[in-house]
Parts: sequence; structure tokens; C-alpha cells
Amino acid sequence: MNWGGFLNPMAGVWFLLVVPLVILYFLKLRRPQLEVPSLVLWRSVINDSRVNSPFQKFKRNLLLLLQLVLLGCLVLAAMRPYWRGTADQAQYLPVLIDCSASMAALDKPGGQPRLELAKQEVRRLIDNLLPGQRLALIAVSNTARSLCDFSDNPRVLRAALDKLTVQHAPSRLEDGLRMAQALALTNPVETVLLYTDGNLPSVVSFDLPFELSYQKLPSAGPNVGITAVNAQRNRDHWDVFVRVDATKNSSQTTTVEFWNSGRLEASELVTVDGTGSQRVVFNLPDEGAASLEIRLKPDGFDALSLDNEAFLDLPRQRNLRVHCPLSLATYRQAMPEQDALVLYPDEEGNGKGADYDLVITDQAADLELDARMTLAVGVIPNDLKSLLEATTQVGEIVDWQRSSPLLQYVQLRDVQLGDEPRKAEGVEDKAFEEAGYEILAQGKRAPLVLHRGRAARDDYVMLFHTDRSTLVYRIGFPILVKNTLEEARRLAGLSEARSLPTGVLESRRVAPDSSFTVTSPDGSQTVHRSTAEGDLAGIAAPMIGRYRVESGTGEPEMFGVSLQSVTETQLEGVDTLQVKEVRVTAATTRLQTDRPLWPWLALLGFSLLLLEWLLFQKRPGGMKAPA
Amino acid sequence: MSPASARFTSLLENKVLSRLEKMRLYPQRRLTNRTRGEHQAGKGGTSTEFADYRDYVAGDDVKNVDWNIFARLERPYVKLYRHEEDLHVVLLLDCSVSMNFEGKFERAKQLAAALGTLGLMNLERVSVYACTSAGGEPAFLAPCTGRVSRGRLFDFLERLESRGDCPFETAIDGMLSRHRGRGVVILLSDFLTFGDLQKPFNMLYSAGLEVSAVQILSPTELNPELTGNLRFVDSESGQTLDVSNVGDLLSVYHAHRLALEEEVAMICRQRSGRFVSISSQEPLESVLFDLLRRKGWIR
Repeated sequence: MNWGGFLNPMAGVWFLLVVPLVILYFLKLRRPQLEVPSLVLWRSVINDSRVNSPFQKFKRNLLLLLQLVLLGCLVLAAMRPYWRGTADQAQYLPVLIDCSASMAALDKPGGQPRLELAKQEVRRLIDNLLPGQRLALIAVSNTARSLCDFSDNPRVLRAALDKLTVQHAPSRLEDGLRMAQALALTNPVETVLLYTDGNLPSVVSFDLPFELSYQKLPSAGPNVGITAVNAQRNRDHWDVFVRVDATKNSSQTTTVEFWNSGRLEASELVTVDGTGSQRVVFNLPDEGAASLEIRLKPDGFDALSLDNEAFLDLPRQRNLRVHCPLSLATYRQAMPEQDALVLYPDEEGNGKGADYDLVITDQAADLELDARMTLAVGVIPNDLKSLLEATTQVGEIVDWQRSSPLLQYVQLRDVQLGDEPRKAEGVEDKAFEEAGYEILAQGKRAPLVLHRGRAARDDYVMLFHTDRSTLVYRIGFPILVKNTLEEARRLAGLSEARSLPTGVLESRRVAPDSSFTVTSPDGSQTVHRSTAEGDLAGIAAPMIGRYRVESGTGEPEMFGVSLQSVTETQLEGVDTLQVKEVRVTAATTRLQTDRPLWPWLALLGFSLLLLEWLLFQKRPGGMKAPA
Repeated sequence: MSPASARFTSLLENKVLSRLEKMRLYPQRRLTNRTRGEHQAGKGGTSTEFADYRDYVAGDDVKNVDWNIFARLERPYVKLYRHEEDLHVVLLLDCSVSMNFEGKFERAKQLAAALGTLGLMNLERVSVYACTSAGGEPAFLAPCTGRVSRGRLFDFLERLESRGDCPFETAIDGMLSRHRGRGVVILLSDFLTFGDLQKPFNMLYSAGLEVSAVQILSPTELNPELTGNLRFVDSESGQTLDVSNVGDLLSVYHAHRLALEEEVAMICRQRSGRFVSISSQEPLESVLFDLLRRKGWIR
């Protein structure tokens, strides 16, 4: 068993100083002189046999003994001894610190947040940093952020650690591991430390090139929180669904309050026993746009307060704007009249919308229209023309994705196609995926229905014309049109709304090439610019609260974001992480680092020096000088 | 006239002197001289104090026959009277440098003055010897008696200084070479000497002197508070002694000091003498009128 060692054993040569020390001691021994009336008694005392005992001889040279011990302490300190801990003595040690929302949870009323416990552990690492050892600090939440690159400077490391705060986001370990992997490219990293409360996805998709030491912090107390909020439009009102979860093995009672634009609309008392979630439904008349807020007021102790609030913004209701050329009469006829939509062009071929929610077309030029969703019928987009060849061969649909929003409940079996395309020579299905398309329906010779989802636009492509197939005579065709309209409504935000989680705001269609000022809940402002296509994307929303997005013109928009994470709310720490094929189990004992002993030896040496000084300087008392 | 100048001597206060005038030395043995004095001899004498009767024998002076007894008993008896002789009080002071610590020598001179006063006031012959330098003649106050000699005694004592280096046992030799007659010798010293005390005490005993020894030690000698490593320097010889960790040796020191006291006391007792050890800081009146009185040195 290795108990420790010395980092600089060559300093032991200084032990040779013992020889000159002893010589100088006896050469330079100075005693205070004291005149006494007579030496009669003292000489007899010295001659006493008891005085000559080995112990008395030993005590007579106490100062020499102290000097020898002092020299020993100083030389040992110079040899830099250390006490080996349970942690591997890695020279480069990246430390991942979970700073997700659950790390703000308390274990008891007035207790410490989990992040503070993690900080204490890391501070201990920093304080016991051995010479030559370097730490890198990485904060992990839904993304990873480097707090400090490899450094052996405790002051720099402590300053970086002090800046770490809880992020209002769920945990995601992959980015942190990737960042540690990037550090391992330039430095020899054998072990990576992870400090977390265990509220992580138990399966991590990452190939570990190093050993992961999973340091699980003590569990937090019981918690209840909102894990989802969404709304569905139901004719003339909205149904708002609120999902409340609690930690397992606990029963929590809480009041769910439903606020609309600062006014309490309703409240409901629910009890969550931890075995399942509770769902609360509120009804809200559709009276235009609304800013909703859901608040929880737990009756007892609540470990995490970040998940007690959620926001939901309901859009102003309007008709769906659909462009469908007169050539697609089958589609125009299949659109139900009672559905709130505006169809362009009208029956006379007049009218043109500014921007469409849905474009259904069999004309290649219409695919350039500004729309949230397009459905190309019998048209091969330009980026697929090199992959496909149009034919007039008869074909049929072999398989299709029944769960796709466009094709659900649509029966495509035995549908005959009159113009089934075929793949170009040497083209594989993989080429369509590389082009950004997902294959929704497959024919014998080529894909038949494709979907490409982009930030602010969803494109569906039917590579066969429905008018030249038997599909228009099937019951599935009006279902297909209905699905198309519903999907368009969903993408336009007209049929349902859901609360936004923290992270990055969804991409929005705005005026192209315009500047927008985003004001965070804490008052900080950032400026973003929309693309030439009118996409405003990449707005970071790391904090719970309302964000205000405004341009120089027009009304500002408000977006509320909240935590809404089941894992963060349930505070259920996993004991084992499955990192690809590697199982990483949480350590059952706290990590003990190598502890340098030289400061203690130096302190002991200083104390001995003081003691020796006191002994040396102490004047004898009692005997008065002769008159 | 200031109070100081009103004192008869700087060694003793007047009230102490007045108390001493009413007291006298009380030796254990009758070591008187033939010279007629105030102390009754053990044998018969010619004083007026009746001692005993004895049978008349031929040759006795008939004037000493008690005729009243003869008339009553019809047998002649001779009346005996006590013989009163003088007592020689010898005071021997240790004037070595070792006495020059924390008032030891001052206290020795005060005791010598007080004991000398007792002798003089009771018509004893008082002589004082002071051992000073080795090889030299000791300072000497010739035997004197009577109240009138007090001035000489005090003057002699006041002029004494503790600057000698003469060992105490040598001083006793010197004293005996000059002294004649029996009596009481009172030794005032710290008895811190490397020499052997048996021989001089034997000589004192052989010379017919009852030895009364007063050991005077300073408080620091009685209870030293020393620590650390020290180099002791002998005040008389200048010799040095290195002692380490003195604090741990104090218990041994006390044992040796008590052993020295016991040794001197034993020597005195074996020669029908007396011994007392006092601190130089102990009040003089307490020593004289309490300690010495309780021990029967003076009455």
C-alpha cells in the first residue's frame, strides 16, 4: 500500500546539516551567568547520581534537540512530502461541474444548494493542488462552458469557480465530455472528474477516451414543479394543460395558480404523490393574444423554486393563408370550407398574399414563395434534380411512415402512380438524407414523399403527381389534405401553443435584414439581426422569465421561458451512467486528494523556532545581584 | 533630632534594645570561668545563695557550720552556697562574600549585636571574632563586659564588611588560637563551605565552648526560582558551574539544602550544642523574641 511519497527527495541531502549544527551548538553554547553565594549546594546537586541519569542528560540539551527537530522539519518540508489520497495523481485533471437547475435544490429549509456543495469539493481540490498538477474547470448544464483552462494557480481557479452560478436549464453531459475530450487533445488527460447531483440522462452518447470519475453529491429534499405547459385551441377557447411532477417517494400538495396578464384567473389544489404526474386543465376564452403565467405555491418545503413558474404566450387568432393554384383543383375542392382559411388565388385566379402559411403547388416557380410550409406535388425541387429522373412509368408505394403528421391515417397501399420517378444512376437513399430530406414514403425505384425541416420552413415533396395517381379517388386523399392544413396551422402557431423551455428561442419569421434588441429578464440587452430570408434565430434564453424582442418599428414581442424538465424537477439522481458501452458508477465515498504535507511541516518548524527562541531568551529569575 | 539619630545603634531599634535588657542568655551547660560572675557554678561557692548541706569534716571552717541545725539535731552540718562565675560569650561572624546576599550579613550583624547586648547587660564577658580574609588575622573585639561596653560592641559590628574569602572552618581555627576560657560560642554563618565542619566543632567543644550555630540563608537560597541552562559563578572563588535545565534540579537542590541543615544540626547536637536556621528576610524581633525564646536560647 502506498502511503505517500516525496516530490523532491533530493532535498534530503540537507540532512547533512546535522553535523555542522551539532558542532556549532557545542561551540556556541551560551549560558546566562548567575552569581550565587556559594556553589556548595549546586555542586553537590550535580554530583548526585540522579542528575547523571540518561534522561537528565537528554533534557540538558533540549535546545540542541529542538534545533535538530527544526532542521528535520525544514528538510522534510523541502522534500515536499504528500499523503496519497483516493484520487489518481493526474497531472492534468479536467473537472466537470454540473450547474443545471437542479443544482440549486436545497436539502432542507435554509440548507445549502447542491452547487455550493460541489464548489466546496472543488475548492478542496484546489487547496490540495500538488506542485505540477493542473486543473481545468468546465461548467455543464444543457451545454458546456469552460470556466478556466488548465491552471495550477489556485487564485485563478478559485476566482473562476466563484463565478459559477446555477443555469436555468436541464443537464446534458455530452457537451461537457466533448470539451474535456478537446482538452485531452493537447494535454495528457487520464481522468475526468464529474461533480453532479445525478440529475442527468442516464444514457450518454459519447465514446469515453478517458476514465470518468462520477462524484455524486448528496440528494436534495422533496420538490414539486411544473414540467410542461401547452395549450390547444378548441373552437372558441383555449385548453391550457399544466403538468405537475414531484420527487419520487414523496407526496406534495401545491396550489396551481393560473394568471392571465397579471390577473389571477383560477387556482387549483393538487396533490402529487411522486408515482405519477398530475395534469391540470384551465379553459381560457379565445379573446386574442394572451400572456399566461402558471405559478405553484407548495404547502410544505420545496427544494427547488426555479420550476414553480411557467409562461405561455397564446397567439392572436387569424385565418390560415393558403396558396394553391387553380391547376390543383382536387386539393382546393378537398379543403373543407368551414375551416378558417383564406385561399389564394380565388376562383377567378385573382389575389396574392404577402406571406403564406401553406403553399400547395405543382409549379416549380411557386416553391420560391415565402411560406412556412410548402407541399410540392409532382415537382422535383432543384436540389433533387440531380438525384432523380422523371418517368412515366407506372408504380406504387411500397412503404410509408404512418406516424408522419402528413401521412397519418392515410392509406397508401395499392395506390397506383402514373409517373413514378426513379433515382439517377448510382444514387443511393443516403444521398437524399445528405441533401437534408427525410424519406416519408418509398417506391420501388425511388423515394416518393420527402420532408425537409428547416428553421422557419418545412418542405414536403410528393415526387408523383396525385392527379396522375389513384390517390385522389381514395378516402385517404381528403385526409392527406386535412393533415396538410393541420400541420400548416401547427407550424403557424394557430392550433396549439406550448411553453418555451430555457435554452434558445425558436426561430421566427421577421423582416429580413433587420436589427432586433432582446431584453432578458435581468435587464441585459443583446442585439440580433435577421437573415436575408427573414429568419431570426439563435436568441439565447438561459434564464427563466420573459424576454422582450423589439425592433425599431412595430410592437415588441414577449416570450416567456421556463424550466420544464421532468428530470430536473423529480431530482432523481442516477447512480450509474451508461456512457455508450461503459458503465460509470457514482463513487460512494468522497474523493480524497493527495494532500501536501510540507505546509504542516513548515508550520511545525516555525512553532519549534518560536519555542526555542522563548527557551533561549527566558531569563533565570530569583537570585538578586549582590548589593 | 531625627528618629534615626536617636537610635543607639543602626543595627537595632531602641525598643528591641529595651526588650533585650530584660532578658539573658540561657546556655545548656554551665561552662563558666573561675572569674566571679553572674552565672552560678555547679559546685559550691561563696555566694549568698544557699545550695545544700553536708556533714562537717575536720578542717572545715567552723564559721560555715549552721548552728541552728546543730542546736536542733546536735550534729554539725556545713552550709553550702552556690558559686557564681562569669560566662564568656564568643560571637563568631562569617564575613565572607557569600554572606553578602539579600541581607544575610546585615541579619548576622543584628543577631550578633542582640546576643552581645544580652551578654553585656548580664555582665558576661563578650568577645567578637569576624573571619575576613584567608590567612589574615580575624577582626577581633576583645572581651568586654558591662553596659558601658555596648558602644564598643556596636561600633565594632557596624564597621564590619563582608568582603572576606576566609573559609569558616579556618576562621574557627583562628578564633581558637586567640580565645581563652570556657563559655558559649555563637556561630553566625550560612555554613556554605566546602570544608569539613566536624573538626572545628570538635575543637570548639574541646575548648570548653558550648556551640550555638545560627544558619542564615537568603530567601533565594531557601527557595530558588530558576529555569533554563545557567552558568553559576561562585561569589567567593569565582569558580563556575554549568547547570542545564535548572528547573528540574530544584527538588534535588532542596534535598541537599535540608541535608546540609541536618548535618550541621547533628554536629551541634552531638556536642551538646544547638542549631537554628533562619531566613535573612525573617523579622529580627520574630527571630529573637519568638524563635530563640521558644528554643530556649534566651529567657
